[in-house]
Amino acid sequence: MSSQRERSRVLQATRKTGELILEYFSKAWDAKAQGKPIAWITVFTPVELLRALDIYPIAPEHFGAMCSARGVALGYFEEAEKKGYSQNLCSYSRCGLGYALSGMSGLMPPPDLLVTFRNSCDVYVKWWQSLHMHLGTPLFVGEAPYVLTLEDLDNYVLDYVVKQLEQLVKIVEEKFRLRFDMERFVNIIKLSDRASELWLETLKLRRSRPCPLGGRDSASDIFPLVIMQGTEEAIRFYEELLEEVKKKVAKAEGIIENEKFRLLFDGIWLWHAFDLIKYFEDRGAVFVYEPYSEAWAHRLDASKPLESLARKVLAMGLNVDIDLRIERFLESIKEFQIDGAVLFSNRSCKSWSAPQLVTADILSKKFNIPHLLFEADMADPRQYAEDQIKNRIDAFLEVLGET
Amino acid sequence: MAIASGIRDLCKNPAAILSHYRDSGVKVIGYTCSYVPEELIISAGLQPYRITNIGADVSALTPSFICPFASATLENMVRLEDFFDGFVVAHTCDPMWRLYDILKKKISKPLFLLRVPHNTDNELSFEFFKLELIRFKKFFEENFKATIDENALFSATRLCNENRSLLKSIYMLNDNGHFMINALDRFPLVLASMWMPKPEINAQIKTLHFNDSKSDGSVRLHLNGTSIYDMDLIRIIGESGGFVASDDLCTGSRYFWSNVEESEDPISALAYRCLKRTPCPSHGPIEDRLEYINFMIKEFRAQGVITFAERFCDPILYDSVHIRNMLSKNGVATTLIDYENATQEIGRIKTRVEAFIESIGG
Repeated sequence: MSSQRERSRVLQATRKTGELILEYFSKAWDAKAQGKPIAWITVFTPVELLRALDIYPIAPEHFGAMCSARGVALGYFEEAEKKGYSQNLCSYSRCGLGYALSGMSGLMPPPDLLVTFRNSCDVYVKWWQSLHMHLGTPLFVGEAPYVLTLEDLDNYVLDYVVKQLEQLVKIVEEKFRLRFDMERFVNIIKLSDRASELWLETLKLRRSRPCPLGGRDSASDIFPLVIMQGTEEAIRFYEELLEEVKKKVAKAEGIIENEKFRLLFDGIWLWHAFDLIKYFEDRGAVFVYEPYSEAWAHRLDASKPLESLARKVLAMGLNVDIDLRIERFLESIKEFQIDGAVLFSNRSCKSWSAPQLVTADILSKKFNIPHLLFEADMADPRQYAEDQIKNRIDAFLEVLGET
Repeated sequence: MAIASGIRDLCKNPAAILSHYRDSGVKVIGYTCSYVPEELIISAGLQPYRITNIGADVSALTPSFICPFASATLENMVRLEDFFDGFVVAHTCDPMWRLYDILKKKISKPLFLLRVPHNTDNELSFEFFKLELIRFKKFFEENFKATIDENALFSATRLCNENRSLLKSIYMLNDNGHFMINALDRFPLVLASMWMPKPEINAQIKTLHFNDSKSDGSVRLHLNGTSIYDMDLIRIIGESGGFVASDDLCTGSRYFWSNVEESEDPISALAYRCLKRTPCPSHGPIEDRLEYINFMIKEFRAQGVITFAERFCDPILYDSVHIRNMLSKNGVATTLIDYENATQEIGRIKTRVEAFIESIGG
């Protein structure tokens, strides 16, 4: 394949994310130099609230993904493992802890505050507690109880989260002598809502045949939605992306040529083996839907900013009941005309992977959707058997070709 | 005085009691963790039964890298479903939380997820957990047509408090360097308390008397970990010259260390006890846990700490770094021994235990 054709498989807007990410981290150092507090957060933390408090949030999970993609994570893994952290622990956490234990002179400035919400996994809490123990940095652990039914988004569960957000504001105000500005917060909520709206609109366009935006795009394009929520830059990025995708749809131009199979991807992408997406694409398979891409896209109501943000914190990622998640899977299968599902059993994300065998069973038996389930690690290349996985992909695509 | 052979047999095969319950028409609720308040189950006229990993291999429903204890527990829940009338899973660690997801698709009996807050020192958690316990109470009222009034809750609380106090009084026999009760006698009493009707086990414990035995040169140890049902893990410590003086296990001191206040507001009292009890690695500030371990080591004069960890047990694996750091500052030796299947790996585990005990002068 020529490099020209290869390049066309990634959107123009997507190509800018690398620079955007580096700039975001670089600005963190500027903020630190200006005396602005830096918060290390887990990715399902409400950044909108921190931004309204003039706290600069950065996510070590992004750092882990970047290090893995650039092949420089191993040194950090080894540093953490040397200090006693088992190789069986989450690779993002080993990378982040390794960085914290080796001087913190790279992309991420040292934290002034550690904030996490227990809304995807308990590893978040243990990882953040570990950072707190090593660095002595103040720690805030927020709770977001598992959403069992949609009623939880309106009852005492919601109330619990709202009150914790208020508590976080109070703690930050007292600790850093900052003032929470409601007007600023409302504006940030509006910006965040707009970015989500744009992204959701973009994702909907993936229903088109051929699909205008592939897995390599969605994996990178999500970055501003995770950490830059409530900024004008995020809006600009998603406006540009939406325009580009709309044009492609108008021209009936797919992200790959000769689209044969439309796939669902369940899991976090393999950052060290990002080319695996290309391997699928080279064989006519395009990823058209991932729960991961929707995880941060939540509409917010600026007239009820705190309550609305609390709902987002509750309903993010893996924090909703399996029946609600499967329901969304099934809707997406129809909506995006999915031919098959790829489920990544991620050794680092036990919370995500634990029920996947049950989900896979439902997909095949109840809905007749062929699936491929493979095991590896999202950031640690030592847990990746490339040849074996590629073999299984070949077999899976062969089955799809026959159905 | 040795404990009754019936209790020892029960520890080898706890599922045996389930047939007895079924034949006697006793309705049984299986639960996964000591954060589930047995008081509420008992007050609904049901028998609580703590699900174990005994007798089960890891489940084919979970990936290979999930905590084998959680996976085997799941296997037992699915395998033994017919013996139960309902199940309660508590959100503690990730695998236990996700058992709920899997069970929801695999069993037909009523199932409840108890959302236990991580934060134990926050007034908001207390308020939330009270409401969560009210939802828990409704689960029994709706599914089992039970009437749980304050009197029923009060009596169940008293019964459980009596059990906890009895277990604690036996445990305390080993404080200040005493060698009065062997761990192979002590742990089965805790386990049996999770399976047998409380009045029966309480009556049995009351008949026991222990005499101080002189130190035989055994090395006093503190046992750190989560749940240990396999008594061979305890046995090999004794055979290697160790004496388990104290522990912070979910199947040990964490189960009985503190009581529920017998107050006019039993739900609040239950919520308070759950949050203020000895923390497990998935709950509360890590400092509280370190403080508890440190207290235990001093109170029971432990010379070393063994951490038994199920492979892939995230909470223990993170905490072990901080426990080791704290203990090395305090000059207390520690070792972490992990395993996937204790029965199959008992030889290797014993070699590690022996080497550790030898290294600290045993």
